[in-house]
Amino acid sequence: MRKSIYNVQQRRISHWVIVAFLLLAFSGKSQIDTSLTLVSKMDFQAQHELHDGNLVHLMGFTETLGAPILLPSKTLIFEEGDSVHITLWNMSQAASHTIHLHGLDVDQANDGVPHLSFEVAHDDSGHYYFEAPHPGTYLYHCHFTSVLHVQAGMYGLLIVKPKSDPNLTWENGYAFDSENAWLMSELDTNWHHDTIINAPHDPQSTTHPILPYYPQHFLVNGKSEGQLDAFPLVASVGEKVYMRLANIGYYGNEVIFPAGMNAQIISSDGRPLPNVVNSDTVKLFPGERYGVLLEADAEFNDVVQINYVNMNTHQLENTQEIDLTISGFIGVDELGSNDPLVYPNPANQHVKLPLSGTWRVLDLAGRELTQLNAPYFDYDVSELPVGTYILRNVDRPEWSVKLQIQR
Amino acid sequence: MMKWVLMLFLGNVFVSQAATVNTSLYILRDSIHFDNGTALPYTTFNANNTFNATNARIVVNQGDQLDLWVVNFDSDPHEFRIQGETTTVTIPVGDSVQVLYDCNTPGVYIFHDPMNFPDNASAGLSGMLVVKNTSHAGFYWNVKEHQVGYNDSVFAGTSPNWMTYYPEHFTINGRSNPNINNDPDARVVGNVGDTIYIYIANTGQSVHSMHLHGYHATVTYYSKDASKVGWSKDSMPIYPSETMILELVPDIPGEYPVHDHNLIGTTGGSLYPQGMFTTLLIAP
Repeated sequence: MRKSIYNVQQRRISHWVIVAFLLLAFSGKSQIDTSLTLVSKMDFQAQHELHDGNLVHLMGFTETLGAPILLPSKTLIFEEGDSVHITLWNMSQAASHTIHLHGLDVDQANDGVPHLSFEVAHDDSGHYYFEAPHPGTYLYHCHFTSVLHVQAGMYGLLIVKPKSDPNLTWENGYAFDSENAWLMSELDTNWHHDTIINAPHDPQSTTHPILPYYPQHFLVNGKSEGQLDAFPLVASVGEKVYMRLANIGYYGNEVIFPAGMNAQIISSDGRPLPNVVNSDTVKLFPGERYGVLLEADAEFNDVVQINYVNMNTHQLENTQEIDLTISGFIGVDELGSNDPLVYPNPANQHVKLPLSGTWRVLDLAGRELTQLNAPYFDYDVSELPVGTYILRNVDRPEWSVKLQIQR
Repeated sequence: MMKWVLMLFLGNVFVSQAATVNTSLYILRDSIHFDNGTALPYTTFNANNTFNATNARIVVNQGDQLDLWVVNFDSDPHEFRIQGETTTVTIPVGDSVQVLYDCNTPGVYIFHDPMNFPDNASAGLSGMLVVKNTSHAGFYWNVKEHQVGYNDSVFAGTSPNWMTYYPEHFTINGRSNPNINNDPDARVVGNVGDTIYIYIANTGQSVHSMHLHGYHATVTYYSKDASKVGWSKDSMPIYPSETMILELVPDIPGEYPVHDHNLIGTTGGSLYPQGMFTTLLIAP
């Protein structure tokens, strides 16, 4: 199982047969659910470790009272049309909290804005209900004294998947082999002092003092700098990777993919775009979400850059990098050697392939060795040394076959 | 009185049939006041000889010809242009200029004082010209942010340091939460099924990421990037000196917030909640 930057990575094993999808986690195992409880609370002791080793206090949502607060909070995953019931149990010891279902367009009663919906006081519970709408990427966050509580850590991703296939972007949308979710934010340690995190933020008080915001930490899924080394983006040649990008910070982001990833922006804010945008750079501002399809056509190692831009001065203040490794060939283990359209197999001098035209000859690491050309289906492989190869059609790269050469 | 006449003919289809919209803008200086008691010196374009911290708004129909006089009642000379549409004209102290503009292309345009840009515009002289092609209900947001001390520098003849810009106040049409809801041109009020247009101009220097609760809206005009027209969004950045039109067709009733999702923009004078926060009020 590969490492993933987030807990929703799923992988289609073969491009011919969907065998399974996998959920990877580094903050807990995710599951599709229609009824759940979230506990809102705060850290009595600083426990969230920053890249420099310092610890800070958080507010956050957890699944149980005893669970540590993670940054961001658990990703909630539902299926389109689910009837979702969320109980918020506030054990903050102090502040009231809410859950705002950002982008879900729920009714006013469930919108999670204190004076327009309701707020949940300490040691009380509140209930939210919605029917999961359009498949897409959304957010949830506290909307009580939101500027403080969001910065304090009370946010997470909410993903709605189509009913028919979790590896579709939406019904009749794009199929993908794996997915990753990156939630960008920043952290100003001065906003995480105990005197702020543990303050009651009296709901009767009409105003709340706010510190100047000069973040020292620029985060992807709550991590930064060397912490991100453990969460590289890893994919295979030809693997369709769906990236869910979201910004819950107070800075603008520029996510820059290497050109070899052939990035296509296909959705935003839970809606398909009218036209696909081919762009290696995705700009997203606070509250926005984007869906981006990636597919590398060659092996390489690089990084994905994530810029953090000050929205007042427009200056680039920080860049985070996530290692990118494109290696091997998707589904190589699943490619059979007994494909009836590839014969003989093993081959010696000639082989018949299922499509005419040009085929790339790749080794098992995905490196291109040569190409085969023939006007019809009969290809000369007499120059290939003995071994096992992956042949990939140039015009229809989704067609790949495994070929053995024996003499 | 010296008169500058600027004639722009961007097309002639509507000229012969166009209504002529005669209006004037008066440049006046006073102060903009925020809820925490802070007041900043401020200069605006006004509809008459009385200062208003909300810049006067010019709304015309597609095909109209705008016959505009801009009168400088300030103690400093100013300039005027419709950004991207007309050339810059100078208005000496106590003088006026005439600007003629054929409003052939629907959209939102910013008129401002480009002198020492962005200094004078940031100190208040920046407003909206809306060219409409629909009779549906429309609401208008001139979004802007303000840093204490910057306007004083501008009026003292010193350009502020925009590289250290950190605004403390955030307004829509010159007002902050909760007073934005008292502006009937800003607060969106309608019914389920209505087609509502929200005309937005960012006359400040920061990017503002406006987030709608309750609804997605369709981008029908985006001066920054026309390729985003047709996108359905709940959060949308509005860049400095750029404009946007959102089409909203509410499908559920209720009162829902709209605010800057750079949540610093929902504060004012280091207090929360203020800033760019208003609500949509949609009846069944």
